[in-house]
Amino acid sequence: MNVNVVLVGHVDHGKSTLIGRLLYDSESIKDERVEEIQKLAEEYKRRFEFAYFLDSFEDELKEERTIDTVSLMFKSKKNYYTITDVPGHKEFIKNMLTGASHADVAVLVVSAKEGVQEQTRRHMFLLKMLGIKQVFVAVNKMDAVDYKEERFETVRNQISALLTSFNFVTHEIPFIPVSAIEGENIYRRSEVMDWYEGSTLIEALDTVIISQENKPLRFVVQDVYEVEGETVIVGRVEAGRLSNGDEILLEPSGVRGWIEKIMVFGSELEEAKTGDSTGVVITNSGDVKRGDVAGTVENPPLPREQFLGEAVLLDKNLKKGEKLELRCGTARVRCVIREIKERINSETGEVIAEYPEEIHEHDAATIVFATEPLVVEQFAEIPELGRFVLVKNGKGIGAGVVLGV
Amino acid sequence: MSLKDLENKSIYIIREAYAEFENPAVLWSTGKDSTTVLWLCRKAFFGKIPFPVIHIDTGYKFKQMYAFRDKIADEWGMDLVIARNEEAIKAGIGPKNGKFECCTKLKTEALMKYLDKHGFDALLLAIRRDEHGIRAKERVFSPRDNEFRWNYRDQPLEMWDQYQIHNQGQSEGEGTVSIHTRVHPILHWRELDVWEYIKQEKEIPINPMYFANDGKRYRSLGCEPCTSPIESNAKTIDEIVEELRTTKIAERSGRAQDKEKTFMMQKLRALGYM
Repeated sequence: MNVNVVLVGHVDHGKSTLIGRLLYDSESIKDERVEEIQKLAEEYKRRFEFAYFLDSFEDELKEERTIDTVSLMFKSKKNYYTITDVPGHKEFIKNMLTGASHADVAVLVVSAKEGVQEQTRRHMFLLKMLGIKQVFVAVNKMDAVDYKEERFETVRNQISALLTSFNFVTHEIPFIPVSAIEGENIYRRSEVMDWYEGSTLIEALDTVIISQENKPLRFVVQDVYEVEGETVIVGRVEAGRLSNGDEILLEPSGVRGWIEKIMVFGSELEEAKTGDSTGVVITNSGDVKRGDVAGTVENPPLPREQFLGEAVLLDKNLKKGEKLELRCGTARVRCVIREIKERINSETGEVIAEYPEEIHEHDAATIVFATEPLVVEQFAEIPELGRFVLVKNGKGIGAGVVLGV
Repeated sequence: MSLKDLENKSIYIIREAYAEFENPAVLWSTGKDSTTVLWLCRKAFFGKIPFPVIHIDTGYKFKQMYAFRDKIADEWGMDLVIARNEEAIKAGIGPKNGKFECCTKLKTEALMKYLDKHGFDALLLAIRRDEHGIRAKERVFSPRDNEFRWNYRDQPLEMWDQYQIHNQGQSEGEGTVSIHTRVHPILHWRELDVWEYIKQEKEIPINPMYFANDGKRYRSLGCEPCTSPIESNAKTIDEIVEELRTTKIAERSGRAQDKEKTFMMQKLRALGYM
């Protein structure tokens, strides 16, 4: 099974070293790369560190910090993991969001020596907003605190309190004492921490289950092609499944028809499942266009002109009444910030103000968006159509999720 | 990810690029990765690729590559265009000028001149994250400024499957280059995935140089003077797949440009290389 992991936590708490260690111990690192890193370390007169397997920008090595995400792959006996390390610094939140948006689960790394810090909080807030449900906590640098159980307990309580405040269910979260630099409890069970009886990090990750539920059909239209005289609507099944002969409704165009063919290059299919990129031919394609969403007539998609969302802002500020472009699925619509309900501190989760006139960079907020007719779903139900990006002058300036329609 | 998941995502990306850009093109080196991308394009568009296929010819490619290229172009009904930096080739630029200089003049500049002349606003390329550390940092849609530079310090927001579309415009005036976006349909594929997909699809043509001849084969195909074969006896795709499962040698270990200077790959890419 493939699992996407995002690694979050404060800079200097050892995330890079942790990934480097995971790659190294799982033998996912090519010999060439180890040599390359050793050479680099000599060139920059640095100590050889596992962290250097990651940061491949010269600037990052020089500045000793991560600017952008990096995704690497390793495997355990059970799964293939794509692990994305994200930058911690506030100025790189955009890159952190990019990396975290693809994750199924998160590993939070906190240094046993320092405990919870600023970036830790902001990361957890954003992960909660992005809907990441499964979290694992690695209490790192146990070597720096002599592998003491008391220190682990203290830090664990600190982290639990934080996670609880963001509404994570802490008794379901594994807390693992590790040392990335020494390789304790990552792949190899630690002997020196004999007081710990839980799983190693890799054992915990191997318990991940990515569940598929039964959802109503939602097919997003990317384009319409003419193929050998037929009109083929191409797109992707974001939820549920598409079957030949189904009667479907496409909104916001309002087109309704029966599926005559489901096609991929070289063959026709009886059905398409969640995740499939496919083409359909229907009776009466009418004015179907990019941005439409198809569903069965029994459980049709509903176009909205207003919804409540929670978003984080990456631009300098955002004012009530401001006009932007909103993108959800393949739809791009004009939108207006009708109301800002709450201005939220993305570091603490606290509401700073109610019904403010504007919000500032890195704030989160609950906002009433008014848009051209658009199909959106509640993020908690169909995340693929419950998440959106805000665009201004062609640039992504924020992202969020749909709380209510 | 399963091959089906990988393919689904790639086709989605390709269709997004076609829907969003006015004038896309796809780069083809005739290597296994870019030929796979062409195959995925055929699948996305149900047979005929509706935009040009660009081959950058440095003049130093292996002879077998040229023959292979023309045969496939013909079979697949491609709109094949060749980009060459004629001035540099005439001036005798080659690896003796230093690999950085040679790659820049014969590859990067050939592409730049071609794009400038024909105004493509998007280029589909076959790079993968696992090929090289630098590529691990790439976005699926990655903008290049009007001097081809990759602003890796300030990459666009790219969340979920929302791919950044920059406001792009044609620069006017002499000697200016249009702004374009690089699109990477197989960024999430590993080397092994590519070979397993090729094996599964049966119809993806593979340059015979990838297979062992006399105890050696090529794992990566660059220009003749700068590409070295590896020791191998893998004569079929199955054998290559088996070899890949167990090897710890990096794919591009035979490529001189990657070795030469520590951050040469980054510098090359920042200047517009692929």
